[in-house]
Amino acid sequence: MKNNIKIERARYDLTQGDLAEKIGVSRQSINAIEKGKYVPSALLAIKIAQLFKLPVEELFFLEEGE
Amino acid sequence: MKSNYLLSNKYKIPGWILLILGLIAGVFLMLSEFESDLLEIKVLAIYNGDSIISNEEDVGFFKIIENNILDEIIALAIIIGGLLVGFSKEKVEDEFIYKLRKDSLVWAIIFNYIVLMFAIVFIYDFTFFNVLVYNMFTPLLFFIIRFNFLKVKA
Repeated sequence: MKNNIKIERARYDLTQGDLAEKIGVSRQSINAIEKGKYVPSALLAIKIAQLFKLPVEELFFLEEGE
Repeated sequence: MKSNYLLSNKYKIPGWILLILGLIAGVFLMLSEFESDLLEIKVLAIYNGDSIISNEEDVGFFKIIENNILDEIIALAIIIGGLLVGFSKEKVEDEFIYKLRKDSLVWAIIFNYIVLMFAIVFIYDFTFFNVLVYNMFTPLLFFIIRFNFLKVKA
């Protein structure tokens, strides 16, 4: 699964640490999600999308074959 | 992230202290064969088997025997310290950290048994007894090392 978190973070001028703090997760989690190493739970995905005022589908996308 | 078996984060530092003290003392004990009469006390053995140094009357169930409890104290320090370190919450505990912990546990168990299989095949006699001693602690240690490695890398 791919995502646009890095772009949205830049748009809001947030560091990984800032975003992590706002959501209430660890900085490592944000980093792993951004890099596509970790697929977040639906709960976490919705929380991040809500923070950026986006529907989840505009922040996270399935890759081909998924 | 709710999980019902993790301790509060405040146990992390006492855990590290206990673990490190235990490891240092354990390595020292293994290398130096240090003996002290200070900790030689009477203990209850649920079962005491035959050994070269024990009297015949001490063999059997529920016997009070003399034993130096230094190694028991060190082993408990390493195990309790290791459990506190491995199973207390991180400062920020979330689903990703939880996954890292679970993955590290699986990795540690598999790695431990691979190493043990290797030792079973290639290490014999009394030296193998040492392997068994180390193997009491290695699953926990491999887990802690792997977990912290993954956490730093992430």
